[in-house]
Amino acid sequence: MINFKNFIKDKIYIDLYLFFSITLLSIMGLVFLYSASQGNIETIIKQSFFVIFGLFLMLIVSQPDPDFYKNNSAIFLIFSLVLVLVTLFFGKEVNGARRWLDLGFFTLQTSEIIKVALPVFLAAYLYDKSLPINLLNTFTTLFLILLIVNLVRIQPDLGTSLVILIAGLYILFLAGLSWRFIGISSGIFILSLPFIWNNFLEPFQRQRILTLLDPNADPFGSGWNITQSKIAIGSGGLQGKGYQMGSQAHLDFLPETETDFIFSVIAEEFGFIGVCILLSIFLFILLRCLYLAFDARDRFCRLTIGGLSLLFLSTVFINLSMVVGIIPVVGMPLPFISKGGSSLLSFYIAFGIIISMATHKKLMQK
Amino acid sequence: MIDLNERFSEKRNFFNRLIFVYIFFGVLFLYLIYKTFSLQISSYSDYELASLENKTREFLVQPRRGIIYDRNGEIIVNNKPSYSMILDPENVDDINELIFEINKFVNLSDAEIKNINNIFPNKKKLNREVVLKRNLTTEEIAKFEVRNYRFPDIQIAERYSRENLYPYLFSHSIGYVGNLDEEKLQEILSSQNLESNETIFTYSNGFLNGKTGIEYIYDEKLRGLFGKKIYEVDASGRLLQEKQMTPAVAGEDIFTSLDLPSQKVAYDELNNRRGAVVAVDINDGSIVTYVSSPSFSVNKIANGLTQNEFDELINDDDKPFFDRAAQGRYSPASTIKPAIGLFGIYKDILDWEYTIQDPGFFILPEDGRIYRGWKKGGHGEINLKDAIIESSNTFFFSLAYQTEIEELRAHLSNFGFGKNVCDDCFMPDNGLLPSPRWKMNTHNFGWFKGDTVNVGVGQGYINATPIQLAYYSAFLATKGNINKFSFVQDSKNANKNIFNLKNITNIDWDNIHESMIGVIESPKGTAGRLRSLKDYVIAAKSGTVELVSTETKEDYQIIRETEGKRDHAIIIAFAPMPNPKYAISVVIENGESGGSVAGPVAVAVLNSLVKND
Repeated sequence: MINFKNFIKDKIYIDLYLFFSITLLSIMGLVFLYSASQGNIETIIKQSFFVIFGLFLMLIVSQPDPDFYKNNSAIFLIFSLVLVLVTLFFGKEVNGARRWLDLGFFTLQTSEIIKVALPVFLAAYLYDKSLPINLLNTFTTLFLILLIVNLVRIQPDLGTSLVILIAGLYILFLAGLSWRFIGISSGIFILSLPFIWNNFLEPFQRQRILTLLDPNADPFGSGWNITQSKIAIGSGGLQGKGYQMGSQAHLDFLPETETDFIFSVIAEEFGFIGVCILLSIFLFILLRCLYLAFDARDRFCRLTIGGLSLLFLSTVFINLSMVVGIIPVVGMPLPFISKGGSSLLSFYIAFGIIISMATHKKLMQK
Repeated sequence: MIDLNERFSEKRNFFNRLIFVYIFFGVLFLYLIYKTFSLQISSYSDYELASLENKTREFLVQPRRGIIYDRNGEIIVNNKPSYSMILDPENVDDINELIFEINKFVNLSDAEIKNINNIFPNKKKLNREVVLKRNLTTEEIAKFEVRNYRFPDIQIAERYSRENLYPYLFSHSIGYVGNLDEEKLQEILSSQNLESNETIFTYSNGFLNGKTGIEYIYDEKLRGLFGKKIYEVDASGRLLQEKQMTPAVAGEDIFTSLDLPSQKVAYDELNNRRGAVVAVDINDGSIVTYVSSPSFSVNKIANGLTQNEFDELINDDDKPFFDRAAQGRYSPASTIKPAIGLFGIYKDILDWEYTIQDPGFFILPEDGRIYRGWKKGGHGEINLKDAIIESSNTFFFSLAYQTEIEELRAHLSNFGFGKNVCDDCFMPDNGLLPSPRWKMNTHNFGWFKGDTVNVGVGQGYINATPIQLAYYSAFLATKGNINKFSFVQDSKNANKNIFNLKNITNIDWDNIHESMIGVIESPKGTAGRLRSLKDYVIAAKSGTVELVSTETKEDYQIIRETEGKRDHAIIIAFAPMPNPKYAISVVIENGESGGSVAGPVAVAVLNSLVKND
């Protein structure tokens, strides 16, 4: 037994804290999804397959040395960029959006891949630049980020493009973007908000933002989702209505229970107590990532861990803020819980990379 | 490439920034938790309620309306079951195929098919029943029953319609029901703290309320209380299962004092002539007979008339909708004479010995105008008793001439003239008891002595409804000791109006009764023809209402060529004497003779009432 443990320690790169907490989250996700899908066995089997495959993938991805990712990050980025471009032209259209590549056995949401590839590439690009990062590098990086963000946005997939933008900006920020540049560009951004509102947002996206400001103005139109979500969460109370007893979810008042609004189902059925337990697992994972970032062996690893964990944090935060009505509905899954293979796999890969960065130490440091 | 110092500062810079972001998100997360907390804990009750309202749908359940009985316990108005073919749409995909199949044995009209096609998609979506056909005949039901194994989604359901078993006899007394308007519905529901909702109907023609007569006056009692059914529904409004049920409370049954046999007699005797009969039990003022003629079928009104049928009724010159018993205004004519005579005694103008010479006319001293009696040459020397029996106009002209109109008015008011005499009649008219002020206001003329003289024989401005005349008759019968009239006796209203005038003694009352008996029994009586129609004693006073004033009989013969100008026939009566139980009034428009036209109707109704006791 001890030998086996040592064998794992010596031969397999794994962070047990992250591995177990993510496994726990994934299993809880399956339990929640069973209720949210109204006991749809097919959905659960499919999702279970992705969970098992994803955990295995995470383990594999954490084996190579960080240098492997550093050296090949450009290839990964180009590969995923090609996938995005192919999607743009040949993707499967669902509800007016072209986000999926039909691979026969699996439809891949390609933006989920580039969401991971971009931060890794930016970390590799910026880790050896002297501080503070000069204007040329800043603009090169920004150009790349905005290019990819726009490619995803025109699919259209506002949620993912937003996350990609945020993740890219984190890396830039963590890599040492000068405060002066941040100040000036923030000012320009705020001033150009009206321009963005008029030229970059689809009418339905504008409507969502307006709805957020006053969901009661149109309770059966675009305010319906937010209103029903709030009713679901609020009616859960402290202890919840009980597993599979959520009337909001089970009588179809709540939209998208399996994906965007799964948190509302959890809150309705398990109450505030359930919400706190779920959030503490997310919090544990994030704090573990923070520790691993401090403990990482070099700048590239630190940037990658920081960037990817903030990517995860942002996704969770955007999803939760959306369902409780703080921000507009943008279409964002709850990592490891919501249905959807691509999103699930992208986060397993992201955490695989994080674990790789955290567990491979330089010999000279040991 | 990077020295240690630089590396150290880079690391610190990185950590600071990472922690900065984490703290930033930490604050946002706290806000998120606060937001969840406020939804789930602080506003829990609001959202719990919202969730409950979301998933339940309330249905009103229509109550059954009370049954209306006559005084013998016979049902007059009932709820008649009718049968409808009802489809549960959940498992039906092709409605047209189903209609085609049904049409093979139960004929569906084009309008019915069109209606089914219109409502089907929505009903199916919401899982609500679809009424395929109403009012099935027994043959149609039988045809369906032998094939019902082929139609698992169809059932025959019982619905009611309001049915008056004697649709023409009680049209004006009991009245009819009709559809409830939205405003009234809201009022009824809010009195029960309910909201307007989809309704499970007990009646095939929807919400009902009383529109006229007893159905209207006692609507609140008859109506009952709405029940409710609560169903669980999903977001699209589909019914899932029944959660809770508060049954509807059926309306109270109403026991009226109306008497079916006498009602039938009155209706048959009137025989569609324009007129009215009102009879009461004088002991408590309960109305036993109440007929206005011609009549109409209340069932047709309540369950839907065609436009043609409706137009026919509304344009009928005989005005069948008009309730002559409570709203028809007729001069009391000679029937008023006993009351006038009593006034003379009360004011000591005359006594029973007092006589006058009746030359057949009365000359008003002020302007020399001549007021004629009905008998050429007059009645000779005549006292009060004979003046009533023979109906001498001259006697009462000269008596009225000696009265003050305001005093006479007050006196007549006691007898029911000019006021409402019924507790639960539908829209009763108060008739007219004229006063100088009224005349000035209406005709812009002062009161003449001649107007008072006319009141003395019940002509001129004074008029009364048949129900007021019946009250007057009952008043005479009970010697002024009478209840306000009612269809339904309620103990709390049973206080008698006792009329007490010092100068009028029991002997005077007996004399009045004797005089009125004489109207039929005396050889000189104006209604002697009625003597042979009954085998007990009736007190009566007939009257003939002149619509056009004529000088001679020849003039009247010309007038009567036009039916609408003929005199109205009128009679009041009470029986059996000497201990009367029933009082009655009969008016037959343009019937010409109170004694011989209205009289037989009154006697026939009294026969029915007296014999059935």
